[in-house]
Amino acid sequence: MSAAVTVGRPASASPLRRQAASLAQAWRRLRHQPATVAALVALVLIAVAAAAAPLLAPFAPDETDFTAALSGPTAEHPLGTDDLGRDTLSRVIYSARTALLVAGGSVLVAMLIGVPLGLLLGYKGGWYDRLGSRGLDVADALPGLLVGFVVIAVLGRGMLVLIVAIGLIFCMNFARMTRAVTLTERKKPYVEAARVSGLPHRQVVFRQVLPNLAGPLVVQGAVFLGSAIKVESALSFLGLGLDESQPSWGGMLGLAAEHQADHPFMALPPGIAIVVTVLAFNVLGDGLNDALSGRRPTRRRRAARSAARPQRAGGIPPASAAVAEQHPRAERPVAAAQTVRPEPAALELRDVTVVADRPTGETVPLVADVALTVARGEVLGLLGESGSGKSMLAKAALGLLPAGVRLGSGSVLLHGRDIAGCSDRELREVRGRSLGVVFQNPQANLSPVHTVGRQLAEPLRAHLGMSRVQARERAAELLDLVGVDDPRRRLGQYPYQFSGGMAQRVAIAIALAGEPDVLIADEATSALDVTTQSQVLDLLLDLRERLDMAVVMITHDLGVVAETCDRVAVMYAGQIVETGAVRSLFDRPRHPYTAALLAAHPSADRDVDRLPTIPGRVPLAGEWPPGCHFAGRCPFVRPECTAGPVPLTDHVRCVRAAEIALEVSEVAHA
Amino acid sequence: MGKLVAYRVLFAVPQLAIVSLVVFSLTYLVPGSPAAAILGTAATPDAIAQVEAQLGLDRPPLERLASWFGGVLTGDLGTSFRSGVPVAELLGQRFPATLSLVLGGMVVALVVGVGAGVLTGTRPGTTTDRVITGGTVLGLAIPEFWLGLVLTLVFAVQLGWVPVVAWTPITEDPVAWLRGLLLPSVALGLTGAAIIARQTRAAVVSALAAPYVDTLTAAGVPRRRVVLVYGVKNALVPVLASAGITFAILIGASFVVEKVFTSPGLGSLMLTSVIGKDFPVVQGVVLLTAVLVVVVNFVLDVGYGVINPQARPQ
Ligand code: SF4
Repeated sequence: MSAAVTVGRPASASPLRRQAASLAQAWRRLRHQPATVAALVALVLIAVAAAAAPLLAPFAPDETDFTAALSGPTAEHPLGTDDLGRDTLSRVIYSARTALLVAGGSVLVAMLIGVPLGLLLGYKGGWYDRLGSRGLDVADALPGLLVGFVVIAVLGRGMLVLIVAIGLIFCMNFARMTRAVTLTERKKPYVEAARVSGLPHRQVVFRQVLPNLAGPLVVQGAVFLGSAIKVESALSFLGLGLDESQPSWGGMLGLAAEHQADHPFMALPPGIAIVVTVLAFNVLGDGLNDALSGRRPTRRRRAARSAARPQRAGGIPPASAAVAEQHPRAERPVAAAQTVRPEPAALELRDVTVVADRPTGETVPLVADVALTVARGEVLGLLGESGSGKSMLAKAALGLLPAGVRLGSGSVLLHGRDIAGCSDRELREVRGRSLGVVFQNPQANLSPVHTVGRQLAEPLRAHLGMSRVQARERAAELLDLVGVDDPRRRLGQYPYQFSGGMAQRVAIAIALAGEPDVLIADEATSALDVTTQSQVLDLLLDLRERLDMAVVMITHDLGVVAETCDRVAVMYAGQIVETGAVRSLFDRPRHPYTAALLAAHPSADRDVDRLPTIPGRVPLAGEWPPGCHFAGRCPFVRPECTAGPVPLTDHVRCVRAAEIALEVSEVAHA
Repeated sequence: MGKLVAYRVLFAVPQLAIVSLVVFSLTYLVPGSPAAAILGTAATPDAIAQVEAQLGLDRPPLERLASWFGGVLTGDLGTSFRSGVPVAELLGQRFPATLSLVLGGMVVALVVGVGAGVLTGTRPGTTTDRVITGGTVLGLAIPEFWLGLVLTLVFAVQLGWVPVVAWTPITEDPVAWLRGLLLPSVALGLTGAAIIARQTRAAVVSALAAPYVDTLTAAGVPRRRVVLVYGVKNALVPVLASAGITFAILIGASFVVEKVFTSPGLGSLMLTSVIGKDFPVVQGVVLLTAVLVVVVNFVLDVGYGVINPQARPQ
């Protein structure tokens, strides 16, 4: 129990401190949003005008002047007058008081009802929550304005009634929001800890949940102030708001509506006043939301990344590693024939450089001078840690680079034809027809709201000009080809009805539909479990043989390379550091990084995302050292390594390749 | 699909029952006697007692509740205290105008909103995007009824393209009905369009960042087709999920907008009944509106099940 108390105390202080820090940050961000600042200034001006109405307004709001009734803009009445000769400008200014008072009051009422209700539902949970949430759903069946009507029907007209009526409209939203925040907060460790430490429930809620609620409340408050003004003006327009003696924008518009044929100008000043005020509140709300949530994406991204890491490190040891060693692909006759290679490469990358354009204007290389060839029938592995640029390479080849990233230089040759820099339209013929690709995430690779058959038919119709019926026939054949049972029935199903492995087979079928010469499998099996993984890999190899395709296997998994590839290219920090036949490269690595990879995983049974034997980590794009990218972690580093760019000489990118004799074990001890 | 419909009906029934219970209890919330509120301060106790008897207020609550539910089920919602006309008849007279207006507004909201959302979502950061997104922010700030006033000024009063007083029943002249509905629908629908445009834009942006877009593009499906068929349908899932709320907002707003166009809908009936404390009519309007919202949500949910297979119960 005492342990729980020590956990509880520092934790209980943390949300407040966090809140304060993030508020300061939000304020800094807010100042860089010109629209928000403008909205804030506008609101301050409106508030000042409302407060100082007697000083600013040229006339009293109810001062009539029948001689000037229904006049347009004159020197005396810059915005004209109404049918009683009351000055429009003065009434617009006085109406700001009504608007702000009613809106402020009603948002306060909404919060006073909604927040405790939401806290109760979120905190108590169980039956309270189920009943309460159902109640909120039922309330959705009534339009807000109707609630206002009913309250006024029951209680009569008046300032207080108006405030309560509008407050009731919005209290449900506050309740819903508070409930959501409370639900997420109460599951967090510090609330649990505080509870265990014996703090009374109420204290836990007020100390822990309310600070986290402050941000969303302020944002929603600002937006609802705007909405409340709209509702108030609508009710006043109908004559259900305050009585005639109280000037309001809505009431002025009600009068203007009666004169819309003879004095159309009357409708403009109060309407514009409403729009400007509501707009300012909305823009302020949006701006506050951006400023407050600005910190969230980075934090969430970081959390997601750290959550993903142990998962991946917890890794999937491919059972196939041992098998691979018994049947090394490098010795297969197909691969042996590659050394002669009579025809042009199926896919050749020449000096490909991929760069990212940062918002600051600088250009950062992500992939530098990559040269690769893969021949018909060959399986080439592209091995690298995450962040090595291997996936960017695949997207660059297909012209599918994300926004802000582009091909800096180099060429992508498909059977000798350069497709780099081709337009989307030109690439359409290439994509799926010459070059197919399968991405990592099996479920997300398919659109969740379209049937599998429909998605499979798309490339068939695009490339082979098939009719609907033909495409369906062929789609069934393709599903059969990739080993999906009962293909005809499966065509009518949706992706969520497929397991990960089956979904990935469908993705492969889509990639194969256009009968490409080259298939790029970008971490295509990484998200699958061990058994499924080897099944899908076997499928790829089988298809390679049957369709005589070239396959590029992009992976961070040594086991996948060992099991499936003829040749392999090792990437590190945007560069290829070594290429070679799988067998010889695994037996006699020539680059210290390759050696380190193998030393870290002597039995080639684990992925290479962590390298426990070499300290340090892959340098990020933009932070590459001037010379050898591996210099920071290399046990053999010498001054000449960092002197200048290291070229790829005789399939290895290391200035000392000739002089250092690498033994896997030696590196491990170095 | 049949299962989804059945499932949804099971949800709608208790929702309607609770709403009608709440509507029923309205008269109990009136401070003092509703009859006194109706008659005003000068009422004699005799008159109050007479009105109470007329409204059935003198009967025990449970008995009243039973007859209220019986009435709701048989379509008998009582008679207007002011006019003596059955409430159901009054509602029947006013319903076509409100339904026309709200459906017109919903069409405008969906067409303009989804159109603008797709237009901006497929080209984020461009000038088109910035201009239209700025327009939606403005659209959210404009009260529907004021937009109605301004549109009338420009198109009916100044340009004379459409009649100022516009309502024509569809049974009389469908063309005139449509012409008259044009301005009110636009006035009513543009705020909804702004809401839907914002949601659609966000949904399209996130749909187009999804991996299946890359998968299909990489397979050689034309980009346009990927965006318009796959991106948009996926984006519509969250948009449709919240269209019911937009619809409820539109009904409320239509009560105000119809005054601008002097359209004989439920709004003006509600207005006179609220001012005249004609509780049976107020209850009838609220109940009818709730039924409309529930029915539309039902239709939307079934539609949601059509485009999102995972929403169908297994
Ligand atoms: S060039 Fe130098 S630093 Fe780089 S891998 Fe070779 S020995 Fe190591």
